[in-house]
Amino acid sequence: MAIQTPPNGTAEAPIEVSEVPTVVGINFGNSYASIAVLTKEGSSECIANEDGERQIACAIAFHGEQTYIGNQAKHQLVKNSQNTITGFRNLLGKKFSEIPSNKLTISAPVIQHPKHADEPAYKVEVLEAAPSPLPPTASNTPAASQVATPRSEPTPATRYLTPSEVTSIFLTSLVKSAEDFLGKSVQGAVITVPAWFSESQKAALEKAAADAGINVLQLLEEAGAVAVTTTSEAVADLPKDRTQLVVDLGSSGLELALLSIREGLAYSLATLSDHTVGGDFIDDKLIKFFAKEFTKKTKTPLNVAPSEGTQDKRAEAKLRLAVEHTKRTLSASPGAANCSVESLKEGLDYTGSINRLRFDMEMRSIYDQVYSKVKELIASAGLDLYDVDEIVYVGGSASLPGLDETLAQGFSENVVTPFTAGTVVGGGIGDPTTILARGAALQAKIIVSLPENTDEEKEVKLAFTGHEGSEWIKTKATSKSLGLIFPEENAEGSLGGQWVPVILKETAVPARRTVQVDVDLGEASGEQKVGFEVVEVKEGIKIEKEKPPKVEYDDDDDEAPEEDEEEEEIEVKEKTIEKESVLTSLSFVAKQSRQEQGRWRTTVEVQLIVGEDGGLEVSAWEVAKDGSKGEKVVTTVAAA
Amino acid sequence: MANIVKVPVVPTALKSDWSPPQPTAKSISPLVERRLLPAGTAYLGHVRRAVHKLTFEEHDKHVEEEQKRLNALNGNGADGEDDLGVGDEEENEDLLTLDPKEWKKQDHYAVLGLSHLRYKATPDQIKIAHRKKVLKHHPDKKAGAVGDSNDDAFFKCIQKAMEVLTNPERRRQFDSVDPHYEDLEADVPTAKQVKDAKDPQKYFFKEFSAVFEREARFSKKQPVPMLGQYDASKEEVEGFYDFWYNFDSWRSFEYLDKEINEGSDNRDDKRYTEKKNKSERARRKKEDTARLRQIVDLTLSLDPRIKRIKEEEKAAREAKKKGKGGAANGVSQKQKEEEEKKKAEEEAKKKEEEEKVARAEAKKAKAAAANAAKKARRQARAAEETAA
Repeated sequence: MAIQTPPNGTAEAPIEVSEVPTVVGINFGNSYASIAVLTKEGSSECIANEDGERQIACAIAFHGEQTYIGNQAKHQLVKNSQNTITGFRNLLGKKFSEIPSNKLTISAPVIQHPKHADEPAYKVEVLEAAPSPLPPTASNTPAASQVATPRSEPTPATRYLTPSEVTSIFLTSLVKSAEDFLGKSVQGAVITVPAWFSESQKAALEKAAADAGINVLQLLEEAGAVAVTTTSEAVADLPKDRTQLVVDLGSSGLELALLSIREGLAYSLATLSDHTVGGDFIDDKLIKFFAKEFTKKTKTPLNVAPSEGTQDKRAEAKLRLAVEHTKRTLSASPGAANCSVESLKEGLDYTGSINRLRFDMEMRSIYDQVYSKVKELIASAGLDLYDVDEIVYVGGSASLPGLDETLAQGFSENVVTPFTAGTVVGGGIGDPTTILARGAALQAKIIVSLPENTDEEKEVKLAFTGHEGSEWIKTKATSKSLGLIFPEENAEGSLGGQWVPVILKETAVPARRTVQVDVDLGEASGEQKVGFEVVEVKEGIKIEKEKPPKVEYDDDDDEAPEEDEEEEEIEVKEKTIEKESVLTSLSFVAKQSRQEQGRWRTTVEVQLIVGEDGGLEVSAWEVAKDGSKGEKVVTTVAAA
Repeated sequence: MANIVKVPVVPTALKSDWSPPQPTAKSISPLVERRLLPAGTAYLGHVRRAVHKLTFEEHDKHVEEEQKRLNALNGNGADGEDDLGVGDEEENEDLLTLDPKEWKKQDHYAVLGLSHLRYKATPDQIKIAHRKKVLKHHPDKKAGAVGDSNDDAFFKCIQKAMEVLTNPERRRQFDSVDPHYEDLEADVPTAKQVKDAKDPQKYFFKEFSAVFEREARFSKKQPVPMLGQYDASKEEVEGFYDFWYNFDSWRSFEYLDKEINEGSDNRDDKRYTEKKNKSERARRKKEDTARLRQIVDLTLSLDPRIKRIKEEEKAAREAKKKGKGGAANGVSQKQKEEEEKKKAEEEAKKKEEEEKVARAEAKKAKAAAANAAKKARRQARAAEETAA
């Protein structure tokens, strides 16, 4: 390039290598796992393993000298099911006597470990490589030939693997995939765990991860991972304070959590888990459907789920693999989805298709069960479906649009789901299959960048990494919503003015909220006063039944609207607010007022701080047009 | 920072007789116990406030500092927030509808949004600008958008511009014929313009400084001496003209070459075009050198400093001469001159006054004569009446 006059930027930007350690987030489910890494832009991204799978099946299969991990291992279920291990996560940290023995299994059986007392183990048949022969030297062999002694045949052996060992092998392969992707060694990971994991299970997982050489930064509750993901990026039309329903429909069970998210600070109001519904049950229904079709087409009897006889069992395993693809196609596109299996039974191939409507019909009972569980959960929290502002779906089965449609009918119209927000497709923020891993990766980023220089900073870090013992997760929260009422002359309702909510109920304290309101000051230009009351309100839901015209007031109701029985009665729900008590009031003379269309107006900012003890501090000030703040007026309400 | 929620409602005016109501509760409703999910930045903030016993304001400050620390840790180099002053330039319709086939005619700097920097843009700035444009105009971004989603013409233009500007050799060639400067080069002020200007000296320095600043970019030797100000010393002025008369320019005109038809098998054809291009380049180079020469000539002829320096030199020479010849030095001579001038002036004044007086006297005499004649006529008339 030409020789230049001095450039106006730095010609040589200093090459700075990021000093932040490489971390990953791992969603470790019972059936599927996923890995997320941090992107350059600071967000996180779910990565695919070597097989190109983002949803990595939690399965390990042994076949001869080979070990298969992930989705390849799942294929071994067809022919080599006795040496294939699945569903091992839920056995972590459990004693053999705690495991229900009658559980139907299609994979390697769980047996009592031959050496350790009361410990479960998987028994697998493997071929062990024979020890390699010694290299020929001048002294150890009198033979004239210099050709190396051939290796002897591998010998069959029986291995006993504890769930912990299986987990170690599996986690190692996950981290390996991440390292291959990143090209750097992984220095830390956050692993998600379900809410119902006991301390001993967590300890077992941590130990298994340590055995795999992973530095576990935190075992994060799944709901926490969801909260991190959904609060990390600014979702445009969602308020910062909201109630979020997490519907985790995994393959082995349903986990529901109702979260109160207040400026990113989240805690669960209620949780519920149900293992009688899940992706596996969807599979069962679907393969039953296809088996019936197969029988109709070929006149070959095929009974699956449960199946008997080796032929039927193998056919079931084949179908199970095939419908996985069918389900994904159904979730992704509105058209019909195919299911093809070669040589399903007695050498007959099967190809069938199912459209979304038919599928939803088949799954109706599952959707309804999820819906009833959701209602149960919300009722247990003392809330109404209308109090939910956002629904988040987690897990592959929750990506089914039919589920969203079924659930959405009970909620208020402006509830945000990833489907209405359009964030499911293309790995958007609401993609149910990767949301946990992404949240875990973001959490790992937060933890790894914490300084550890002083005792206090160590304490902060411990608040994340520590187990249940950490005192910081205990908090107090407000039980009633706080807000302002600007009195109005002809106000409707009992409030007597314009209601501005500031601190919602179920907000962890200490809490601070600031609202900005444009206040009308009338037409006169004399002394203009701004005044408002600070009140506590009671919120409720008013249910009106259109027909018969009867008005019902119900505050915390949990009555389930029975749509089928009361066809004519359309329920109209409406949020109601009642003034509970006046705490204090504040007024001052406006000095920064400006005239707009013949009326005077001023912009006021009101800040409410609830202390840890429940003391309330109200401060208000005017904001001039240039952004400068006026005099602050403060009043306090002491704690009880 | 504190998050401020803007509430869209506008409460109406307060009643004039409004008085604050009495509180009906002493404090807020009792708090309930909850267990937080130890996740997210908000939890971190919550714990920090609790552990360090900070108020909200103190924590705000702390968070800001933390952000700075993290930025430093992450290495905020070329791919960080700082865009090295690349900024965002408006893209008008003409720019967006450029034809990538006509890339030779496009302004690569404008395409990358660097028209405010041009030849001054550093490679890093070009990289940043390119990244910015690609993020905005990549065909993948337009997929699914209404209209012609296959329209990646502008993206091709961006790629072409990047290709040219990141290759030092090609960038030099483009800089040589930068269309932005072509127009400016055409209107170098003429001698007449300078003479007709209100304040020729000011006009001269303003206009020609710009000209030389522009031309300086072609110099192989850097830094280049600039035109400077009126009170520049003789050495500076001489240095300036010396440099510019021996200007060593890297400017070349390969960019304007006619395309050699690569597909053509005809060697003669190729050689002919090559030859023509070569001679064309040489001609342009010659023209350019002549053009610069002309500018420098013109500047020299108009430079008020040359006159000043000459006068100064003359004065110095004369002073030297006088100093050799007699006792009188420059200062007394000047005084003498002034005295002489004064004398002459005084004489002229005197003369004028005398003339004035003489003129006045002549006038008086004339008037007296006229009066006498009148008197005589009146007397004569009176005598006639008495006689009748």
